[in-house]
Amino acid sequence: MIRLQGIRKAFGKNEVLKGIDLTVDKGEVVAILGPSGSGKTTLLRCINYLEKPSDGEISIDEFAVNCRKPAKKDIHALRRKTAMVFQQYNLFRHKTALENVMEGLVVVKKLPKAEARQKSVELLEKVGLGDKLDAYPSQLSGGQQQRVGIARALALNPEVILFDEPTSALDPELVGEVLAVIRKIAKEGITMIIVTHEMSFAQEVANHIVFMEGGAVVEEGPPKTIFQSPKEERTRQFLARFTSDSAYSI
Amino acid sequence: MGAKFDIRYVFEYFVKLLPYIQISLFIVASSIVLGLVFGLLAAIPRLYRVPVLQRLSQVYASFFRGTPILIQLFLFYYGLPEVLKLIHIDVTRFPVLVFVILVYGLHSGAYVSEGIRAAVTAVDRGQVEAAYAVGMSGFKAFTRIVFPQALAIAVPILANLVIATLKDTSLAFTLGVMELTGKAQTLPTMSRHFIESYIALAAIYFIVSVVLERLFLLVERRMLKHERETGNADRVPLGKKWLKKRTNAGLALSKGGTRA
Ligand SMILES: Nc1ncnc2c1ncn2[C@@H]1O[C@H](COP(=O)(O)OP(=O)(O)OP(=O)(O)O)[C@@H](O)[C@H]1O
Ligand SMILES: [Mg+2]
Repeated sequence: MIRLQGIRKAFGKNEVLKGIDLTVDKGEVVAILGPSGSGKTTLLRCINYLEKPSDGEISIDEFAVNCRKPAKKDIHALRRKTAMVFQQYNLFRHKTALENVMEGLVVVKKLPKAEARQKSVELLEKVGLGDKLDAYPSQLSGGQQQRVGIARALALNPEVILFDEPTSALDPELVGEVLAVIRKIAKEGITMIIVTHEMSFAQEVANHIVFMEGGAVVEEGPPKTIFQSPKEERTRQFLARFTSDSAYSI
Repeated sequence: MGAKFDIRYVFEYFVKLLPYIQISLFIVASSIVLGLVFGLLAAIPRLYRVPVLQRLSQVYASFFRGTPILIQLFLFYYGLPEVLKLIHIDVTRFPVLVFVILVYGLHSGAYVSEGIRAAVTAVDRGQVEAAYAVGMSGFKAFTRIVFPQALAIAVPILANLVIATLKDTSLAFTLGVMELTGKAQTLPTMSRHFIESYIALAAIYFIVSVVLERLFLLVERRMLKHERETGNADRVPLGKKWLKKRTNAGLALSKGGTRA
């Protein structure tokens, strides 16, 4: 179980997260929605300390990090318990698909090379890239790179995988293949927190929807409630804009 | 002036100069090695923003980049022994080559430090974040992810530096070092065929430069094999972005002509 309590983050005087509380149960898929600039990315980055929260507590099961005075080893432990899939993929550019997946296993988890390799090949096959093991990121399409990114995250056996708009940098025709992979691993009971603008996807894969605005959680609940009968006016407005947007684009 | 032009002297002097390539290359190699050490030492405080050392490293880099190397040679060869005498260290009997290599080492170190800085900052910030997200320590992220990529970016910068240093060694003769240029000036003292000697000298520098350039190109190709593109629609923007960064790094570093 992942628990965020009173997470705050300010960039200079600009308070971007104003005390976020969030609980994610094991195996749950949480989708975070909200307008641009509402702090979704910042919140996700705080969970693995790519951004240092100014206050609050992050806990994963028994393990807890007090963001006021985090120990260096706690930050490392937190990062080893989480994995992230980036909007811009961020694959290691000088390493092949296989090496990208193996890297964490060999360097961080200290697995023997052969074992790491075998596990990585299996994962790449799972995301449909069994034939691209030796390709460098520069030789892969965005969709393929992002699938390698997902395999790299899965390899670490994390307690939670954090996705920051995993498909928003992709050409529309490549979105489907990445969503299909995420859908597949969601069914395996891996805990995930996904920031996304793909409303129908969120509705379909998430067990829990969080709507953020202005650095705070406005409303949260099961997809059915949030999408069909949101309590808050702001949620309603946001969703209405989205559904009308997509109506236009069709 | 000299004697009437006679092409046979060009060939004769060319052959006679060949053995002196060794000395010039020796100066280049030792000063580059020294320069890599100085450059790394100077780059670290700037990369990690160490308060006082950072300033010091900036002063060092701008001094050696901003003054002619000929003056640097004179300052160190004539000035350093005097300064050291004040603290009772006698270096007046050190071979001149020691001073020459020290100066070229410090000089190229200034460029190396800028090069390291430029190359490291040219590596996308997302690479470090991905390394952290995978669970690596700062040290591991640097040595396994940032440094190898920075090195590949730095190869063309290093190539420029090596070739520039080779050309700069032609000034070592002013302190009496018998390298290529020094020899080329003494060879025709009897025959007076100076022009022929200079033509032979230019040819040798040119050939050595071209060979070095080719070698570096091979190394660069090898190290950048991961950036070779193979006709795929949507990795082009990333590649372009990267290339742009790379040329920025190159621009910051490129050494202009001879700075005597
Ligand atoms: N490194 C930073 N320095 C200063 N301000 C920042 C930084 N990163 C984010 N911000 C600010 O924090 C606020 C929230 O940004 P964030 O990226 O978390 O929003 P978001 O909800 O992910 O938006 P989007 O949907 O556009 O991705 C914005 O106002 C942004 O300008
Ligand atoms: Mg964002």
